[in-house]
Amino acid sequence: MCSACGYPAAPGHWTDAGAASPGDRLRVRFQRVKALNTLLGPYGLAAHDDGVIPGVQLASRTGAREIVPDLAALWSAAERMTGTPVDPLGDRFLADD
Amino acid sequence: MTEAEGRLRLTILGGYLGAGKTTWLRHALYEGRFGKAHVIVNEAAEIPVDDAFLRSSGEVTVLAGGCVCCTARADLIAALRGLCDARSRAGAVRLDTVVLETSGLADPAPIAEAIRADPVLTRHILLDEIIVLVDGLHGAAQLASDPLGRHQIEAADRLILTKPDAAPDLNRLRATLARLNPGAEVTAAAHGVDWPLPPLPAGVLPMDLVETGDVAPPVPVPVALPEGMDWSPFSVWLSALLHVHGDRIVRVKGVVRTPAGRLLLQGVRRTVQSPEILPDPGAPTDDTLVLIGRDIDADRVRRSLQKLV
Repeated sequence: MCSACGYPAAPGHWTDAGAASPGDRLRVRFQRVKALNTLLGPYGLAAHDDGVIPGVQLASRTGAREIVPDLAALWSAAERMTGTPVDPLGDRFLADD
Repeated sequence: MTEAEGRLRLTILGGYLGAGKTTWLRHALYEGRFGKAHVIVNEAAEIPVDDAFLRSSGEVTVLAGGCVCCTARADLIAALRGLCDARSRAGAVRLDTVVLETSGLADPAPIAEAIRADPVLTRHILLDEIIVLVDGLHGAAQLASDPLGRHQIEAADRLILTKPDAAPDLNRLRATLARLNPGAEVTAAAHGVDWPLPPLPAGVLPMDLVETGDVAPPVPVPVALPEGMDWSPFSVWLSALLHVHGDRIVRVKGVVRTPAGRLLLQGVRRTVQSPEILPDPGAPTDDTLVLIGRDIDADRVRRSLQKLV
């Protein structure tokens, strides 16, 4: 655990399990942010991960910002910011199909 | 973290009132199926009875006077933390497994969630398996009348039919279980002793379960994973899906290729267990995901996954 910021407070979230080596972990983080932004974009949210700061930084167009430790926390934070859950089966995400 | 090393394995043993949990467990402990095990017995009634039967087989903790999935959840957390503490002390006795025998009123899914949410236990305990016993004699009647029996069956990794020799229509009950939880292995045991089940004859129809409100039987939705799919977008997609639709998706099972190896994913409602790394078979054969739930729009699920990955 990082003694300055307290991350991580639990053993990795299951979504962090897919990478074993440090290089893979970094690659997975960057790919993850790309996928997150595809899903968050239609809701006016953006995710940022520079690969250095632990967790993912989530920002809304109105200026709200939050650092979340894992994806479970990210979806809860996104729901709080927008007032509606980010639904991968919803019309907003699937609209232009 | 994907390794089980250092974490204590927990098996949850559930099943309806009178399904034969204690009988089965007593025999399993006698046979040494769980290795060096500590048993936690939960009874919803104030006066515990079952522990007397189990004491002879090893260490037993009794949590009486409340059900651990709801009212006595704090007691369970405290008992498990106590075990973890005792285990990490110098000179502690080796312990392989903790077996939690739930009360007949418990739904195993909230217990799994409570352990995951506890900051101490999530580091020390690995939920190994949820075994649910189904009463061969009364199971059909319970399923027809009480949604709790269905919730227990839906949450199981393994289903064991008890009293198979006394069951009025075992095949119909088996077909019903296969419909409620298609992912679970079904075996039978009489008085705790394995009872071989013949293959289920074709054409046996499951019981007509009343489909009202939230108790409609769940259906499996297989989702073929695109070849060469990356783990990152997939995990983003699945975690978002479970966040929004976790109430309706009762089980998730699948094998997914990742840079770390093939991961076995298993989830109950919103809780996904730490994925296990499976040995690589060499050929890309089994990359599928099965969602079991109610009112899942299979077409939307596939379109959504395609769009993101």
